[in-house]
Amino acid sequence: MPSSHVAEFDKVVKDYPTGIFGRHYLRALQGVSFTLEAGEVFGLLGPNRAGKTTLVKLLLSLCQPTVGNVTRLGKPASDRSTLSRIGYVHENHAFPRYLTATSLLEFYGALSLLPEPEVRARAGQLLEMVGLADRAHEPIARFSKGMVQRLGVAQAMINDPELLVLDEPSEGLDLAGRAMVHSLVAEQRKRGHTVLLVSHVLGEVEQICDRAAVIVGGKLVFLGKMTELRRDKSKGGTRPLEQALREIYDKPSAKPRSGHAVAAS
Amino acid sequence: MNASAAVYAVRWLIKDTFRQAMATRIFWIMLAVSGVFIVFCLSLDVSGGVDAPQPGDTELYKDNKPIVGPGAAARVTLLFGAMTFETGTRTQDHAVHFLEIMMATMVASYLGFLLTVLWTAGFLPEFLQPSNASVLFAKPVPRWTLLTGKYLGVVVFVAFQVSVFFGGTWFALGIKTGIWQTAYLIGIPLLVVNFAVIYSFAVLIAVLTRSTVACVFGCVLFWALCWGANYGHHFIYAAPDLAAGQSSIGPFTTFLAQAGYWMLPKPADMEWILQDALRSGDYLIAIANAPGFKQAIASGAVDKSMSVVTSIMFSVVMLVISSRHLSKTDY
Repeated sequence: MPSSHVAEFDKVVKDYPTGIFGRHYLRALQGVSFTLEAGEVFGLLGPNRAGKTTLVKLLLSLCQPTVGNVTRLGKPASDRSTLSRIGYVHENHAFPRYLTATSLLEFYGALSLLPEPEVRARAGQLLEMVGLADRAHEPIARFSKGMVQRLGVAQAMINDPELLVLDEPSEGLDLAGRAMVHSLVAEQRKRGHTVLLVSHVLGEVEQICDRAAVIVGGKLVFLGKMTELRRDKSKGGTRPLEQALREIYDKPSAKPRSGHAVAAS
Repeated sequence: MNASAAVYAVRWLIKDTFRQAMATRIFWIMLAVSGVFIVFCLSLDVSGGVDAPQPGDTELYKDNKPIVGPGAAARVTLLFGAMTFETGTRTQDHAVHFLEIMMATMVASYLGFLLTVLWTAGFLPEFLQPSNASVLFAKPVPRWTLLTGKYLGVVVFVAFQVSVFFGGTWFALGIKTGIWQTAYLIGIPLLVVNFAVIYSFAVLIAVLTRSTVACVFGCVLFWALCWGANYGHHFIYAAPDLAAGQSSIGPFTTFLAQAGYWMLPKPADMEWILQDALRSGDYLIAIANAPGFKQAIASGAVDKSMSVVTSIMFSVVMLVISSRHLSKTDY
């Protein structure tokens, strides 16, 4: 049955094969379930190696779940047509250095199956938006890390996505760049589009997210509104997000098991 | 994804490959190499000889016999008259034909092939690096289309360069000598098919390892293996002759040779087809006269169209296996 959610993870388990012959597996996710709703900005939080990027990859069909189901924009993740309505900012861009900013947007826009005239028109607008219009015809090889990140944001917006996935979007960005990302997220929310944000910049998460999921050791340990996450149950009132997360991470039930490797069944 | 969308994506992947080749200067290096040979052709001239072969004539390089008959042999001057040599051919047409065969076989088919593999081997591994491919694979275009598109991009790029080499040298020789041998141009499709078939193996290595070094060495070693398997198969037909009537090749070895021959690309057969199309046997010791080939051809064990078709089928199988593996790979 088609799902009404923008995206849904249903009891998702993901094992990565390890070792030379792949006889053992590293369990990255353990039965994670949650949904993304239209018009919300959803934060995905957790320490390093928690499984956040694996969830993003599952959402984008970059890998397949071992167990469970992933749906996006009402269709199973195996249906690639919905990817034309999604934008993705990768956590560590390495765009082909031989392309210029314009040719990169044209290329990625074409692979989003947008008509050429539309791609050309949008490429100019987006380069203006991210502040690279004056460097539009320079090879990416000459760009700084921040400029590549800005280009990554423009690339993700080339198809005017209904679901925007931002994996560490502020990495390498200056204050103006971060403000541009925040403004973009606010604009997406205003238009009823959804944003999935993975970030270690807690101020950013606090400022722009409506709801969040906290993943630790491949398990979902919190799901709810940001206000609930920050609520101090013992003293009442709210607490800083960093303190709230530290308490969650330090709970024995949330500790990652030592040695995730499990034998292949 | 429908067919028109796939064609649209492939067109952009081909365009991207040309951009990559230009930015990495491979495009210009290959053009420069072709340019050197085009200038070489513009620098030469032919003179002497007779208008048509005379009764009783033989060519110098055929069976290593000297020219007999009245009149002088055709002479070729190189580097704008700096050097002169006799090709050993009776007519100027044959002298030009001889030079074209040398360029098609020795230069393009061997040296050119190896350099092309070396220069293009990095295209696919770079394309498949996770930090680049993750964004591409999050697009609606299926992975198999992206991989096939990039492969076709490299093949189209090589086809362009091969066409420049053959077209340029053919045209230069034509305007300098007034002799236009259109058979020379058959080298374009034959060498492109030969490259496409061997390069499909590099696609598999790229998908498995994402390593340029592995692609270069794997591809060259595979090419040598295919030559061995191809020639080894034909050698079976010559073995009784060479062993003075005593065949020492057992049925299992014969089976292996047959299996290897039919399963793998056939670069030696492709070379034979090229040489045969250019009639190189008139001037040189052709591969068709080598032990094994001669007997295999005589016994009907080699068929040109089957060699080409089965070689192309190999590349299709390689692309299917590579695409299936890539589709299942976690990025």
